[in-house]
Amino acid sequence: MQTKKKFNLLWVAWILILPALLIRGFTTVYPIFETFRISLYDIRLFKGIIEFVGFQNYVTVFKDPKVIASVKFTVIFVLSSMALHIVLGIILALILNMNFKGRKFLRTIVLIPWAMPMVVVGIAARWAFDNDYGLVNDFIRWFVPNFKLSWLIYTNSSRLAVIAMDLWKDIPFFAILVLAGLQFIPEEIYEAARVDGAGPIQSFFKITLPLITKNVLILSIFFTMWRLVSFDIVYSMTSGGPGEDTALIAYRITTEAFTNLNLGYGATLAVVLFLVMVLFSSITLLWVKKIDY
Amino acid sequence: MKKLLPILLVILMLGIFTGYANGSEYDLTLFTVWKTNPNFDQWLSGVESATGLKINAIAEPTDTDTRQQKVVTILSSGDSSIDILHINDEMGTSVKNTGWLVPLNDTVLTDDIIGYFPQGYMADMLTSKDGGIIGVPSYVGYLAFWIDQVKLDKYGFKSIDAKEDFVAFAKAATEGGNYGYGGSWEKTYIHNELGIFVNLFGGDYLDWTNPANKEAIQFMYDMVNTWKVTPVDVLADKYEQMNQKFIDGKYAMLFMWGTGGAFRDAGRYGEDQIHLAPIPQFATKSIFTDSWSFVLNSASKNKEAAIKFLQYVASKEGMVSGWDNVLAYPARSDAAQLLPDSDVKDMYSLYQRTCIVRGRPMLPQTMEFLTDMGTIFQLCMQDKITVDEFCVRAQQYVERYK
Repeated sequence: MQTKKKFNLLWVAWILILPALLIRGFTTVYPIFETFRISLYDIRLFKGIIEFVGFQNYVTVFKDPKVIASVKFTVIFVLSSMALHIVLGIILALILNMNFKGRKFLRTIVLIPWAMPMVVVGIAARWAFDNDYGLVNDFIRWFVPNFKLSWLIYTNSSRLAVIAMDLWKDIPFFAILVLAGLQFIPEEIYEAARVDGAGPIQSFFKITLPLITKNVLILSIFFTMWRLVSFDIVYSMTSGGPGEDTALIAYRITTEAFTNLNLGYGATLAVVLFLVMVLFSSITLLWVKKIDY
Repeated sequence: MKKLLPILLVILMLGIFTGYANGSEYDLTLFTVWKTNPNFDQWLSGVESATGLKINAIAEPTDTDTRQQKVVTILSSGDSSIDILHINDEMGTSVKNTGWLVPLNDTVLTDDIIGYFPQGYMADMLTSKDGGIIGVPSYVGYLAFWIDQVKLDKYGFKSIDAKEDFVAFAKAATEGGNYGYGGSWEKTYIHNELGIFVNLFGGDYLDWTNPANKEAIQFMYDMVNTWKVTPVDVLADKYEQMNQKFIDGKYAMLFMWGTGGAFRDAGRYGEDQIHLAPIPQFATKSIFTDSWSFVLNSASKNKEAAIKFLQYVASKEGMVSGWDNVLAYPARSDAAQLLPDSDVKDMYSLYQRTCIVRGRPMLPQTMEFLTDMGTIFQLCMQDKITVDEFCVRAQQYVERYK
């Protein structure tokens, strides 16, 4: 009797979540399978071409100079942005963890960049890095009066500008999440360390860092994933330029699929990126499991 | 209350869905770039009064890439929520042979009126390979020559009639952080100016083995690197940045679309300020014309209403209304005659009489072509490839994307 009741309840539960599952399936699972399917086709809508080509698109991906350029910058972008996210994010979290007047206010306003839409940030950044009107050069000219640089026309400076805007926008959020981890470290451990003669730097490396490592690593998985699929900052700020020098891989996918209407090739790039992300997150999760403090 | 809430929610949901099921209150939906014009509502009221239609107008994105993507997504997916779209030459060239747009030869652009439209432009930009004319030009525009009279007077020039004057004025006006020639050379924008200089030197944009093309590129390279009359910063500039710098007196002359709305708004338009000027004579005197055209979505479920709209905007009255409200110069020559005399009317008439008027050269895969051309142009201006290498690569792109 109780088993039958349990069984009935289970059916009710499934029926109740079925609409959500169907919607999820239609909006997530179906597009994934469809993307895999069309990656095996050469689809060029402007030319009216829809032709099954098997894995030819995948072969082309590894020979396409535009894709190679995008991958190169994506690697630079992800590695440098993540490294600075971790270092500067932890520093900011430590500052926000200190006791000082106005701490609550600072913790609030520090999130303002994160709350702004990235497209707005990108459009504003296009002006901010302008040689004549930009506030970046204006600030630099306080110290170097004759400074002149049109940031977005040179490869290195435009890449630096893109990375800088990404950091400006997302470090506060990373710091707040690290701060949450810092809250869980008992004060008694620091007291005991002080009694034993440990200074602040020793306390940081021997207590704080080990205890937040797992937290930071897990955050790094998410933040790295977000960097890998970064699109809007480049779209609104540089349009991938100068040339293709700031065209991140997600930007390339969107351009191929929605501007050039090469849907098959765009799908192929998306599948390759998906596989890279699966590989990365699997390796990182295995590594995180091994850490135990 | 607890039992009442779910019931209220269900009623609300039913109400929302019923509202959709009963259909829209509008006769058609218009997707237009004019929506952000301050006088758009006036123009739309005029259209609705003249046609008896109720029109739902939606703003197109102002960013080139976003707009292109939205328009092709709507058309390629058979989305019937938009009846009329407002598209530029780049989009028109890409989609005119796809079957996504309804030909208007028999219903709108009939034999009695088609002759009033620029024939070459209609043939090159809006006619499909089957002979169907797929759009009604909403205006005629030129990539016109603009001069800052303040600088012309300051440096003692009366006018810029020839290439020699152009170069001399550019050099004279380059001083104190200001430059003689301004441009918008961002990689998706440069094709306009690149094309005009190729035409001025008597070249052919789709034939980069033509020596005149090389002369044009060399000229542009010299402007930046040899004479330094154009700052290399222009490689990052779109129209917003270029216009702002022109308004602020940073440039002495440039080529720009439109009738100077931005300059008027900034109080810098006029005979003694920034104004249109005759095209200088290089090897030729050439000018680009362009337009944005209203097109009918093949998937539209309101074709009758849409045709009524298109008939109005293609009429003399519709064209004049465009000028009166949003400064859209009539694409119909008979409508242009009805306009009151103005500097724009005079100059446009002069362009038509004295210049070789061409539509911009477009290939089927327009955005890929112009983006790739913009990329190698930027490499050339930054000395990363030579002018000769540019020409070789440009020809490869022509072959690849045609």
